[in-house]
Order: sequence, then C-alpha cells, then structure tokens
Amino acid sequence: MSFRICSTVLLDASSNVAIQSYGFKLKRVLGDIKSVLYYLDIYQVDEIHLIIPFKGEGSNPVSLYNSLKFIPLSSPLSIGGGIDLKSLEMISRDPYFERIIFNSAFFDDHEVIRYAAKKMGHQAIVAYLPFTFEENQLAIYNSKIDAFCGVDDKFWDDVNNLSNEVILLDAYAEGTKQGFSFSVLDFIPLPINKFLISGGINESDIFHAKQMKLAGVSIDNKTLHNEFSLKGLR
Amino acid sequence: MINIIDIGLGNVSSIQNWLRSCDFDSIRINKASRFEDGPIIIPGVSSAGIYMSKLRSLSLDEEIIKRASSGSKIIGICLGFQIMTDYSEEDSGVRCLGLLNGKTKYLKDKKTHNGWEDLSIDTRTKNNQVDFSQRRTKKVDGRVYFNHELYVELKEETYCHVLDNNITSFAFKKNLFGLQFHPEKSQVTGKKLLSLII
Repeated sequence: MSFRICSTVLLDASSNVAIQSYGFKLKRVLGDIKSVLYYLDIYQVDEIHLIIPFKGEGSNPVSLYNSLKFIPLSSPLSIGGGIDLKSLEMISRDPYFERIIFNSAFFDDHEVIRYAAKKMGHQAIVAYLPFTFEENQLAIYNSKIDAFCGVDDKFWDDVNNLSNEVILLDAYAEGTKQGFSFSVLDFIPLPINKFLISGGINESDIFHAKQMKLAGVSIDNKTLHNEFSLKGLR
Repeated sequence: MINIIDIGLGNVSSIQNWLRSCDFDSIRINKASRFEDGPIIIPGVSSAGIYMSKLRSLSLDEEIIKRASSGSKIIGICLGFQIMTDYSEEDSGVRCLGLLNGKTKYLKDKKTHNGWEDLSIDTRTKNNQVDFSQRRTKKVDGRVYFNHELYVELKEETYCHVLDNNITSFAFKKNLFGLQFHPEKSQVTGKKLLSLII
C-alpha cells in the first residue's frame, strides 16, 4: 500500500467558495469550489478531503453536498462538516464520495457514525481531529462547542473503534510550511498507520511521515500553489 | 448503452461521471423492464445486506442473473464485485448473486484496505477466460484506488490478479468483470481500463 499525498479543501457554506485557513483563524478566499476540485483532480492528488467548517449546531449541508455531485471527479473524495443522521440519509442515497469525515460526533454522537458505517462500511469513516499541543498538553477541537478540549483514554478507544483513519490537523501550523508537530504522535494511543497528518506539512515532513509508515499526509492550500509538485512529493 | 443499477444505493453519479468522461452513454436502471441492450454495471459504496435485499425486492437479482447467463457483460465494482459471488459475510451473512463461484470475506482482523495499488493488465498474455482479441487497447498499466473491508475469495479459475495481501484486485471470466478497486476514482488508469472492458 503506497503512502498517500492528499489535499484538504475547506468550503465556506455561506458563499460556496473554497477558502484558505491559516493557523485555524485567518480565512482567505481561494476560489470557486468547482475549479479547485477540478485542478486537484488534474494534478492527480491521491485523495481530496473536503471539509465544510461548520461551527456550533444547526447546520444543514445537504443541498451543498448534493450540488457537488455534478462535479465530475476521477479522484477519491471524502466529505465532512455538519453531517447528522438526517443529512446522512439523504446524501448516502447516491454517494459521489468514498468516505465521510466526522469531528464532533466522536465526542457525543456515536450513533451517526455507526449509521454511516452501516450504510457505507467501516472503511468509509474518517476522524478529523484538529489539535493544539503546548507544553505536552494535548487538546482536540470539538466543532460543536467551537473549542479545544482535553480528551481521555475512552475518547481514543472510541476513535480507534469507530474510525478507519484519523486526520490529525496541527491547528496552529495550518496553512504554513513550518512543520508538523510530530511529537504529538507519542501522546495518541492509536496505531501509527491510521494517521493522515495535516497542518504545516513541508517536504521533510513528508519524508519523515513516509519513514514512520503513516497512512499519508493531507496538505492544505499549498497543493494548489505548487501545481505540478505532487508527483515529486510522492 | 450501458445500464447502471440504480436502486437508491451505490455511487451511481460517480459511475455516470466516469462513463461520460469517456463518451459512453448510460441509463439508470431501477426496474427490470428498463434494461437496454449492453453492459450492466453494479456499482459500489454500500453494504451487501441492504443492497441484496433491495435488488430482490425489485426482482433485479433474477434479471441480472438471466442477462448474465445469456451473455450480457456484467461489471461489478467493489461491492458490485463482491455480490457477484455466492455469499458475503457482511451484515451477518448474505446470499448473493452467485455469478462467480466463491465467497466474500472480511479482511483479517477486520482491517480495511484504503489507498492505491499498482495495476497491470496485458491482454496479450495467454488466458482461457476472456477473449480480448477484438480490443483495441491491449495493455493497461497504472495505479488504482481501493477502499474496502471485505475481499473476494474465488473457487474457480478466472483471469485475475491477487495482491500481496491476498486481496483479489480483479477477476474476469467470459462476460463477467469484477473489480475490487474503484476505476471511477482511479484517474487516468480508470479511464484506460474502461476502454479495455467495455
């Protein structure tokens, strides 16, 4: 199984455009979502992780997700953001994506994850866990409360049992090439081959991640800035 | 015209996008009377229990078996390939279409298989299972995308490739084409493959 070079794309639900995020704070418009996905497909990225960064409750992503169905992609696509039982029922009728990404559900709604696994298989479940790691203190982002919080062993057991892979996003390094905080991996009790790391990824991080036999990396805005770079990184 | 089974399950739109990108026309099939002459694609991304139950409720299982035995080309993708076997372990065990003699089993330790693997099909290699002589495309080399937790174990001879981890990547026999990977999400290789099997 080859190491994967994936790309994370953020989609702003209100304007329906792709956005860039820096340090989990600053947002800038990247461009039309169809164009962004189209070019990532042309660059033959190994997998696209499309995230709608909803914060809090009450999101309704169904029409947004269904509108993406008509973008002819030949690359694997995973989607996440605001997915609950009702929206899952709708979008899983004709899934144009291979996998579903969950964040806050790992904290408090395992039912929706189990239902997604029933509909699409366990291989389709991906955890998206932005984190901060300061002075050996790990905090994981929960989008429902829009905050980073500490987690216990039970949380990691649940993530391990319910998910197939885990995207670990180094929140402060997001959108930069300053380097991923590899030391965080020592604090997370999950199999190493389950991790797709994201945030701050540079060339030496990719080499290091390959050596460690991680599942892959998911690069943010930078994949689009260096258009023919993907094959070299692979 | 290519018939795509559309029973409210499976990644039908992705399959249609794939066919359209190679200028193939397709029709979505949700009842036996709608079939047109041409290949039949059974898509992936669902689970065997739910999928077989829906096929049976619409009598599409019998129609697919009938058309397969009369020579229609059947292309099963991922789950579509798995339900071409006799039985799947998924959803506590499901009787499947029985087009290919074999079983679908969970990967060891309930692991999953996600990512890209190499694919090489050279139709000039001698085989007794599929007649490729009329194909303009003779060889497909590249990489293909896998995303599954069950695999097919066949008990009959096919033109096939088994990966190092014992996963049957593809198995062809006469008019039956089973693909464990997702050709519709395998970029350039998926498109090349389409011209070989359709």
